[in-house]
Amino acid sequence: MSRSWAAAIVSAAAFLVGLARVAPCFADDGFVLRDDLKRDIAFAHPARRIITLLPSLTETVCALDACDRLVATDRYSNWPLQVGALPKAGGLDDAAVELIVSLRPDLVLLSRSQRITGRLEELGIRTFTLNTESYADIGRNIEIIGRILGETARAAALEHALAAELHEIGVEAAARRHGQGPTVYFEVDRAPYAAGPESFIGELLTMLGARNIVTADLGPFPKLNPEYVVRRNPDVIFVSSQEAPLLAERPGWGDIRAVKERRLCSFPSAVSDTIVRPGPRVDAGMRALADCLERVAP
Amino acid sequence: MLETPPPSAAGPSPALSCVHLCMGYGVRRVLDDISLEFSAGTWSAVVGPNGCGKSTLLRALAGLRRPLSGSIVLQGRELSLWSRRERARRLAWLAQDSTGTDLTGVEVVGLGRFAHGGWLGARQGTDDAAIRHAMRATGSLASAQRRVSTLSGGERQRVYLARALAVEAPVLLLDEPTTHLDPPHQEDVIRLLRDQAHGCRVCVVSAIHDLSLALAADRLIVMGRSGLIGHGTVAETLAGDWLSAAFETPIHVVDDNGTRLWRPSLQPA
Amino acid sequence: MSAPRAEMVLGVDTSLGTPTRLALWLTGCLALTVLLTVGSLFTGTSSIATSWHWLLAPDAQSSLVLWQIRLPRTLGAWCVGALLGLCGATAQGLFRNPLAEPYLLGTASGAALGVAISLIAVDSTIVELAWAGKLGMTCAACIGAGAATALTIALSRGVLQTTSLLLAGIVVASVLGAATSLILLTKPEIFRAMQTFLLGSTAFLSWASVGWVGGVLCLCLVPAIGLSRGLDALTLGEDTAQSLGLSLPLIRIALLGMMSLGTATTVGQVGIVMFVGLMAPHLVRETLAVNHRQLLVAAPLCGGALLQAADLLSRWIVRPAELPVGAVTALVGGAYLVFSLWRRNRDA
Repeated sequence: MSRSWAAAIVSAAAFLVGLARVAPCFADDGFVLRDDLKRDIAFAHPARRIITLLPSLTETVCALDACDRLVATDRYSNWPLQVGALPKAGGLDDAAVELIVSLRPDLVLLSRSQRITGRLEELGIRTFTLNTESYADIGRNIEIIGRILGETARAAALEHALAAELHEIGVEAAARRHGQGPTVYFEVDRAPYAAGPESFIGELLTMLGARNIVTADLGPFPKLNPEYVVRRNPDVIFVSSQEAPLLAERPGWGDIRAVKERRLCSFPSAVSDTIVRPGPRVDAGMRALADCLERVAP
Repeated sequence: MLETPPPSAAGPSPALSCVHLCMGYGVRRVLDDISLEFSAGTWSAVVGPNGCGKSTLLRALAGLRRPLSGSIVLQGRELSLWSRRERARRLAWLAQDSTGTDLTGVEVVGLGRFAHGGWLGARQGTDDAAIRHAMRATGSLASAQRRVSTLSGGERQRVYLARALAVEAPVLLLDEPTTHLDPPHQEDVIRLLRDQAHGCRVCVVSAIHDLSLALAADRLIVMGRSGLIGHGTVAETLAGDWLSAAFETPIHVVDDNGTRLWRPSLQPA
Repeated sequence: MSAPRAEMVLGVDTSLGTPTRLALWLTGCLALTVLLTVGSLFTGTSSIATSWHWLLAPDAQSSLVLWQIRLPRTLGAWCVGALLGLCGATAQGLFRNPLAEPYLLGTASGAALGVAISLIAVDSTIVELAWAGKLGMTCAACIGAGAATALTIALSRGVLQTTSLLLAGIVVASVLGAATSLILLTKPEIFRAMQTFLLGSTAFLSWASVGWVGGVLCLCLVPAIGLSRGLDALTLGEDTAQSLGLSLPLIRIALLGMMSLGTATTVGQVGIVMFVGLMAPHLVRETLAVNHRQLLVAAPLCGGALLQAADLLSRWIVRPAELPVGAVTALVGGAYLVFSLWRRNRDA
């Protein structure tokens, strides 16, 4: 009789010990997430010490009210102002590995960069890769980062607010429009490199009802033959402020409608940051685009 | 910088001379206090072992290297006082090492007329005559249309020699003109140099390695490791046994029907 | 010693065979240029049929594309290619090195640095850079190129030694290249603009460009052809050239100055275009036996046609997008060098 009791107690104890071993998986805070390199990353608890290596990711973390959990960012993150005080861990391709390791983060959030990911993993630092290219990525990243931070409710609220804001901007733009939207050319660079409809910027413009002179088959950032722009004769041109006065000097460009009628849009760098970064401030970026279009479009 | 030579003083002045010439690099002295005179119509050969300064002397005489001290006098005036063009017309130089060039033979020889024609190189009748004469004298007419880089060593050397002759300068300085040449052509060159000196009254100064060829000259300048050993006619050279002093080994010269030859000793030393 | 036949050759014309071949070659180059110019009118964002239609029935827009965009672009490319060919041939003659090319005095790195400074100067708060921002890329590239060349010459302590000039050029190129990389690191948003510049682009050549480059080309031809006989003399060696009455410092200063002006102008207009300056003189010398005066006429013609062809290809291959013209010349140049090496090994 006592032998069977003893056996029961021992097996119960073994069961409890075993249970304790796997307990973390069933603890309240434990979860597993899949990143954009198709790896399953297990979290025992929401991340507490985070390093971000991309401005849009920094902005997302701070928009979820978790700025205090950041221990370092990349050198280009400049919003909100308080991240300026944080140590800078280099750019994406030249991240300061030593600095990152010395800060002992729980997690490093970054975009695709095989070199750094591999190196950090070797050194025992956990990394999480996120795609940050398209408009759809914004919502997805907010949700995932929300889960990483344990702020799922806040993330959902931010997503909804953002979507609503963008929808409203789109509706306003549609209301102001007479007939079809203006044809636009968004110059990313002097070469000329244009933003095609597949790029993030292109998606914003499409949502505003503008028609991109670049066709989708040319890719997200094609290097165009300048006569292409001349022939398509866009109504509005988005260009950097230093190139704007020089457009008329380009051969044949003086006759483009946007140049002749001075329908040019240029933004200071603080504003253009919101346009080119697929992050939580995309509504400000879209509003800047919409305002300029309203001002100069025919 | 005057273009015309000064009126000649009483008595024949040497065509070329160096006075207390010192050449060196840094602290090393290659030539020390050398004074020599070279007259028109004579062929002087500079002989001596390797490294004794034959090339350095010739380069100094041609004005291609600046001396540490001393001066070079060309036709009665200091070398540095002549204009570049005038100097080029009066002094022709043949280098020892010939770099291959893609020009044709006749173009290379035509360059000898550089100082006469100038930059644009419009060729006059006198230029053509000089070129033809020089190429005929050196036997390089066959190489006229061929690229110099495709010629053999001997053919190339004859083209370069023709280039030096085409200058028609009263002073001719040659550094090892018989390099790469077959014996028949070596003969031709020696005869040519004698002809230039005796027939055309050119002052010829050459550095020649081959003793037998050098002994055909009018005067010998013998240099050794310690500097200038002596200079004078061939007879004086042999009388003073300067050659043996220069090469630090007995040099035997025999007289073969008026031609002086070096007879190498075949006995074991 | 002298065969009568050879004398006859000498008597009739000292270079009987050569001018005929040279004349053929020059005519061929000119014909190719005309062909490429016409072809260029048909190449771009429209199909050949459309372009043909435009020529027959012009309207305002198509005239704009044909005569204000395509024609000045191809003529500008020819002028730039010709200038590069001229500078390349001069460099190879002056340095007696078949691998010399127009950018070897640090011109390319100087231009790149000038462009980088002008690009960051725009947003910069540093007052000293404000003027750089106002210059614009063309001017900045030109000034940068000129400054780099001056630095190279100063570093090699005058124009006395060929070797020290080449070494100084390498040093200047490395140092300025490092400086440019540092600037790129601090402001990566200019990277794409820099990359485009470094890869070369004929995209914005206008009639004004044609005027500028054409004018500089004519200006540079004068000292080049005038001093061509001096370059011939140099092939015999520096000592021999000096003995012939050639003033080495004079020819070096004149030709280096000409090279800097020419190269800086091309860099300002189209950025850095590799291999044209290297290939054009080589192509001429491989097929003809020429002296420098003939080379300095043939190499520009060859270089012009080369760059025109590259410009045409860059517009045609991925139309309506386009490749950087420097990438096309690099590919073609690389292929040519590989072929050249193969042939040399085969003949060896």
